[in-house]
Amino acid sequence: MKRTLLLLPLAALAGTLALLPSAVALDGDVKKAEAERTAVVAKVRPAVVAVCPYGGGGHGSGVVIDPEGYALTNFHVTADVSPVMSAGLADGILYDAVLVGQDKVGDVALIKLVPKKAGTPFPFVQLGDSDKVKAGDWSLAMGNPFGLSMDFTPTVTYGLVSGVNRYQPPEGGGTLEYTDCLQIDTSINPGNSGGPLFNMQGELIGINGRGSFDKRGRVNSGVGYAISINQIKNFLGHFKAGLDTDHATMGATVETENEDGTLSQMKFGTILEEADVFRRGVRGGDKLVSFAGRPLTSTNQYKNILGIFPKEWRLPLTYRHENSRKETLVRLMGLMDERANPDAPPPGQPKQPERPDPAKEAAKRSPAMKLFKEKKGYANYYFNEQQRDKLWANFQKHGDFTGVGGAWAVEGTFNANDRKGPLTLTIADTTDGSIDAKLTMNVPFSVKMPTANPLELNVPDNSGGLLPVLTQYRRLLTQGAKGFTANFSHGGVEPCYPPPADGKEVDDWAKRRVDCEVLKTKYGATECKWYFDKKDQKLIACEAAVIPDSDPCELYFGDYKPVDGRQVPHRIDVRWGDKNYGTLFFAKFEFKKAN
Amino acid sequence: MRFALLVSLVLAAPASAADPFGTVAEKVNTRVVKLFGAGGFRGVANYGSGILISPDGHILTSATQMLDSAEIVVHLSDGRKMKAVLLVAEPELDSALLKIKVEGKKLDEPTGLELDFFDYDAAVKRPKAQPGDWVLGFSNQFEIAMRDEQFSIQKGVIAAYTKMHGRRGVFDFPYHGDVYVVDQITNNPGAAGGPLTDRKGNLLGLIGKEIKNTLSETWMNYAIPVAAEVEVKDGDKTAKLTLPDFVALGMKGQYKPVKRPDVVASIGGYHGIIFVPNVLEKTPPYVEDTVSGSPAEKAGLKADDLVSFIDGEPIYSIKMFHDYLKRTKAGMKLRLEVRRGDNLQTVELDLGEQPVKPLPPKPVEPKK
Repeated sequence: MKRTLLLLPLAALAGTLALLPSAVALDGDVKKAEAERTAVVAKVRPAVVAVCPYGGGGHGSGVVIDPEGYALTNFHVTADVSPVMSAGLADGILYDAVLVGQDKVGDVALIKLVPKKAGTPFPFVQLGDSDKVKAGDWSLAMGNPFGLSMDFTPTVTYGLVSGVNRYQPPEGGGTLEYTDCLQIDTSINPGNSGGPLFNMQGELIGINGRGSFDKRGRVNSGVGYAISINQIKNFLGHFKAGLDTDHATMGATVETENEDGTLSQMKFGTILEEADVFRRGVRGGDKLVSFAGRPLTSTNQYKNILGIFPKEWRLPLTYRHENSRKETLVRLMGLMDERANPDAPPPGQPKQPERPDPAKEAAKRSPAMKLFKEKKGYANYYFNEQQRDKLWANFQKHGDFTGVGGAWAVEGTFNANDRKGPLTLTIADTTDGSIDAKLTMNVPFSVKMPTANPLELNVPDNSGGLLPVLTQYRRLLTQGAKGFTANFSHGGVEPCYPPPADGKEVDDWAKRRVDCEVLKTKYGATECKWYFDKKDQKLIACEAAVIPDSDPCELYFGDYKPVDGRQVPHRIDVRWGDKNYGTLFFAKFEFKKAN
Repeated sequence: MRFALLVSLVLAAPASAADPFGTVAEKVNTRVVKLFGAGGFRGVANYGSGILISPDGHILTSATQMLDSAEIVVHLSDGRKMKAVLLVAEPELDSALLKIKVEGKKLDEPTGLELDFFDYDAAVKRPKAQPGDWVLGFSNQFEIAMRDEQFSIQKGVIAAYTKMHGRRGVFDFPYHGDVYVVDQITNNPGAAGGPLTDRKGNLLGLIGKEIKNTLSETWMNYAIPVAAEVEVKDGDKTAKLTLPDFVALGMKGQYKPVKRPDVVASIGGYHGIIFVPNVLEKTPPYVEDTVSGSPAEKAGLKADDLVSFIDGEPIYSIKMFHDYLKRTKAGMKLRLEVRRGDNLQTVELDLGEQPVKPLPPKPVEPKK
């Protein structure tokens, strides 16, 4: 009797009401709730992954998020078994899988399962919106705790979201920092790492990965944490491009003002002079009002919001300088440079020579090995090449300029600050292998690339290097990868903020945001980032660091119209730093074939 | 038995609601506080949870070491940070009553805070929760939340309403009344003093401490019910203590805690520490020397070491040290935290049998 009373609620929790005596009249709502719950579990179950060392064995969990077999898991799960591992699905089949992208700080990794027969789609789950999750919501955690399941059938646990926007500090070398994460009482145990957390619609809201452990050992303590899916969405474009991603810092210390007072406020402390936030005019003592649309009043909130973005993203910052409130876009700096290198062995412990591992030896013969290419800065360069080539091929659909590598001549008008008038632009190769670029806007400007002195690249004056960037643009269009032997890689996905056509000051940058695929190039000393609209791979902007230790020159391409069957921008807005330099309007083009 | 089944099934019905506990969590969150005080040591949290029981800022919480602090800091749910003062504690009821102190006002003056609070009297009048009922636990376990961040919410089921055999360190757990035993892991560090409610957010009890059941050596998850009562020996008489009385009298400043008789089990285990002369009422337990060949010498205790904790319990004076040792016996191992220079050291002391005659102190060796 006593035992029944104790076990009953547990049975109800596990969703096994079917075991109850049939004589009991079940309430209609209960039956409905149970049916809905079991239907959700049945729907998502086939996409839950048991992540194993190559060949099998208990290790961690994961979840497939698209029909091609891309699956999310924890970095701390893949770290020991990369690059090639095994992944078991609920159908009992063990697939070969390869690491695609990773986030050491955020503890996330993207892997790809290789289908047994090429082209066979995988079962997958939909991504939810973790910003809509509230404390007190129900949740389902799935995975392979304790390596219980030999046939990869996932275990399901059911419980509450205990808290949202939680911050859990890094563990070990600055990695595994859980920012803005979900806290759950849904039971997660060793082996659940990397597994999915679902809402009751079966949408993926997080990846389970940590718990608060104390006296009771490293098993469920009623306090587990899942990385929010909205954070992962920010990194997903980077993962798919095979990047070994990094998180971000503002390049400034942020302090709590009035820590002992009734209410606290955040303010800037020391700011690095090379930090973008410094160039934007923020100074020590200025108050932080909001970042990326979230108001800031505590250190945890600041760490939370900063922690969900990859480095180099630009995001709106609202701050108060003396008595004026300002909004600006800030480029984020990388974090891992500041923290300890996680790959380095701890001091005093020489790295052990690796013992031969039979699973790793066998993995080398896996067909998934064909999908792996090692390169510094990448989790898997193979996927970078794939994404880059796909992006380039899609961009080429708007117009192929590879046949017109000769001299370019463009005519039109310009409107720069208080000046306006006709414009001519010519860019041509010279016999010595360099490039001559001439731009006339009332007065003539010229530059010779790439031999020009870096101190003479700000041409026209105060444009941030418009003319040198235009030579890079011609080079990109006409030569593609061949023109950028130093670097021509996919940079993942970043937001881009084209300024308004009327040249007015922007008061809400978030509204102008367009998510773009990024191509990174390097020719000579000039590094460029090219922004392609994620929807149609149309080139909408470029950012080039022409002048050392200064803001990049920004070009925004608009008013695309066909010229000889190719889409060509008839308008370029130029910005440098916080200033709008001006707008170029193109009317007539002449693209000559290469000699 | 059929009845019990139905009860829990009917209660399960709201599970399909679009907003199962979000509104309840938000409502409860305005009636709880995050507490910060003494501790911060291995196994001893310097943070805790409490519930507001008056608009004026009376806080009911668990009687923990965290409250042994000159200054207790309170974070309200709206992010305000304030100070609180311990009014009275009753270990027999595992409860303590605090009050928020507003700058510039005396403690017995109205604070004018007009906070949201749990109606304690109403909670006592409500029927007890039954085994099988769903309950919610709210706390700032693991110090997850600061300032205006929300308390953690956990869902559990009442497993039993019963007496408990608990222990904590070498002390017997002082509370001997009935408790709600919960199937969820609610009693984590810092959770003690948080509310256990029904699924609508009505107060049922206070989440208890982290203690182990002496029968099974397993960690217990329990809460002290709002109507808790215990019988204690007060001299020759047996007195009945109730939590509602504690709350009602405590808020008026009229509650007198029961004087607990010292648990004199034996003469205690032998350590061999020679302390500095005990001249003050609270002489700090500085080691002056150790007896040659004694457990203290073997454990490596040195002159000028300051004994700060024994098995996680703070020790402030030589008297406290001796009182603690009375509850020990030969063969026990004590874990001391000792301040040596600027560092804290952990020292394990294997207590021995008391020598028939105290050994003379080790003579100071002449300097060569």
